[in-house]
Amino acid sequence: MMWPVRIISFMFWYAKEFLLANVHVTADILRPRRKMKTNPAIIAVPAASKTDTEWTLISCLITLTPGTLTLSISREHKILYVHGMFVDSRESLVAEIQEMEDRMLRALRRQPGDLSRPTEAPVVVPSDEHEGSDEP
Amino acid sequence: MELHTIAHGAGVVFIFLGIATIIVAGIGLFKLPDLYLRASAVGTSAGLGVAAIVVGALLMDFSWLNLIKASVAIIAQLLTSAVGSMAIARSGYLNNSMPAEITHTDDLLKTRRDNFES
Repeated sequence: MMWPVRIISFMFWYAKEFLLANVHVTADILRPRRKMKTNPAIIAVPAASKTDTEWTLISCLITLTPGTLTLSISREHKILYVHGMFVDSRESLVAEIQEMEDRMLRALRRQPGDLSRPTEAPVVVPSDEHEGSDEP
Repeated sequence: MELHTIAHGAGVVFIFLGIATIIVAGIGLFKLPDLYLRASAVGTSAGLGVAAIVVGALLMDFSWLNLIKASVAIIAQLLTSAVGSMAIARSGYLNNSMPAEITHTDDLLKTRRDNFES
């Protein structure tokens, strides 16, 4: 597809996802407490973003969708830490986020280029240099 | 005149949709168990509620200048609600506000420093 077409189709796709997620979350909040389907989890999602713009935009778009929330990112390991509200399995949330990222990158980049993601879980060891660890 | 009436009616519908969204978000604040669920569900739903009210007001009083103002207002509202939710959730995590019991996987816990010292 041509680049401008990809931008417009991404916008429509995102608007649709945004409204669907809103309906989903609203319906769940209005359900009686014991029937609520919330099944939250914090999942490390491998990401293909590279530039500052892409990282900022993908984390904003994830947060803007009700029910998913970016907690933290690690550019070094190329990981987005995403809190999801309805997570049945790790794979389902990862697939959902990565589809959004694929579409976003195709809309942002004139040539989609490299969409590969890390496949192994990173080994995270705290160091005393200030390196994105959780200590302030 | 006919078009004007339709736009006015649609504007009222949008404003009431926005109010309903904000009310549901308020109920969510009480019903959801932890900070992260509240931030993800409520923070941005409230953003959508305000955006719907802005669209309704635009339809009731349409002009091209107002269209530009409304677009800027909606974009700014959605961006700030997203960034604000992220900032609140991240600072909550850094300040040891643990996710609710029902959270079944927590990958971020593996990166916590106190997890290594134990």
